[in-house]
Amino acid sequence: MDDVAAAVEQRAQLQRAPGLLRLGGHEFAPGRPLVMAIVNRTPDSFYRPGLTWDEDAALDRVHAAVAEGADILDVGGVPAKPGPEVTVAEEIRRVAPFIERVRAAYPDLVISADTWRHESARALCAAGTDLINDTWSAWDPSLAEVAAEFGAGLVCSHVGTLTPRTRPHRPAFADVVADVIDRVLLLAERAVKAGVDPDRIVIDPAHDFGKNTWHSLEITRRLSELTATGWPVLMSVSHKDFVGETLGADLGDRLAGTLAVTAVGAWLGARIFRAHDVRETRQALDMVASIRGDRPPARAVRALA
Amino acid sequence: MIVAAAICPSPPLLASGITGQAEILPELRAACAAAVARLLAAAPDVVAVAGPADATAPFDPAGELSLASYAPALRSSGPLPSAPALPLALGIGGLLLDAPGYQGPRAYQGIAEYEPAAACLALGAKIATAAPRVALLAMGDGTARRSASAPGYLDERAAPFDEAVERAVRAADLSALAALDPTLAADLLAVGRPAWQSLAGALATPHPGGAGPLQTEVLYSDAPLGVAYLVATLIP
Repeated sequence: MDDVAAAVEQRAQLQRAPGLLRLGGHEFAPGRPLVMAIVNRTPDSFYRPGLTWDEDAALDRVHAAVAEGADILDVGGVPAKPGPEVTVAEEIRRVAPFIERVRAAYPDLVISADTWRHESARALCAAGTDLINDTWSAWDPSLAEVAAEFGAGLVCSHVGTLTPRTRPHRPAFADVVADVIDRVLLLAERAVKAGVDPDRIVIDPAHDFGKNTWHSLEITRRLSELTATGWPVLMSVSHKDFVGETLGADLGDRLAGTLAVTAVGAWLGARIFRAHDVRETRQALDMVASIRGDRPPARAVRALA
Repeated sequence: MIVAAAICPSPPLLASGITGQAEILPELRAACAAAVARLLAAAPDVVAVAGPADATAPFDPAGELSLASYAPALRSSGPLPSAPALPLALGIGGLLLDAPGYQGPRAYQGIAEYEPAAACLALGAKIATAAPRVALLAMGDGTARRSASAPGYLDERAAPFDEAVERAVRAADLSALAALDPTLAADLLAVGRPAWQSLAGALATPHPGGAGPLQTEVLYSDAPLGVAYLVATLIP
């Protein structure tokens, strides 16, 4: 068997039937897109920096996100962009007590921790994290073991050749979608071997991470190739640079573009949407779910009386 | 002979699932269910469902409402229906019979909207004599011009028309039903007129109660969405 055939064969083996996604104590069926609300415990994230740096403000944000229909909360203590070092100890200090507070307030809420270091992940899982959102594509391979140890879920992402907290510089791919699929399926396979529950594994093409705007648009256009693998797909696109560049829109002006990408992703079968704007995202997803026929209208009376 | 008769309206929103996640007009649904329960309690040999259709004709008892015509996303994935789809009024009537699990004989009679009163009365008489014990479910909506947001916009003549129909039903005044003006009814989008007049014709034929008075009860009468819905039972 030649290499290409072997690769095709291996990829086929890594596919799975779309099924239940388990997060925390919840089971989510396909056809019900989930909103993952972003709450950053940082002073310097790219969008609305410092908004939830204060812990009480962050908790208020959680209350609002839950009220607006968030299914998952994603808490991060380290910005993705380059900047002052955030040590493991500092990351844990920023995030772990907060996750404990959220867990106490919402025993059933799915909590995701945006981290890439296994030492942090271990502390955050102990604090109540259900899902390790590893945006940096297993830079630390021990994350999967932590997920397995705590029965947590794991996000398997693609960043090309990036290391954490660096910016892409002239990334190039023969086929970016194939590169993404190969990487995330490899990580998913490794995670399963490490003992992570396959029903708790999510794949994320990671728009903008290690990609230029053309690459992120291509991933969006061909998202059905990712969803066809059967693994639940996470879309993290909220207010990102590829939206800004595509529309010529500054940071404060990317909501419409974000929702357009969200709608296309939902139409093509992505299951989790990481979002700053929970209410708007929930509405966009509900609308798409009803267009797909997965969700009945809230109320249909017009012309039926 | 007619052993029991009922009037129900036939808005699509009575079909299960068609209003989405919201339960719309639960009181109307409950009233229709109660009316049908009384028909079935009379132990009929057959339930005849009469209602407006494009033409006056019987329809296949195996027919069903084409829910997908109103809500394509609700298209059934099961086998194709064995009979042609029923017109709306008869299809809703069928669903009302299905709801309590009725599996006995049923007959569907469509009546054209333009059918004159005399023809409707004669059709009713024919329905009444189809079996020793016939229950009649007359599917008929009132006017659709009860408010500015009504499907047919506001017509000041609509409310008096509906009130007259309700009064006639309450009083079991069959001649008042027989005298309803087809042209005015059509103007007001009161598509139930032929069905009500068939009911009048059916109840005017000899029935087990002899010449005794009909027991009538109005279970619902309102126009919450601008269309007049009347639910009533008339038991000999």
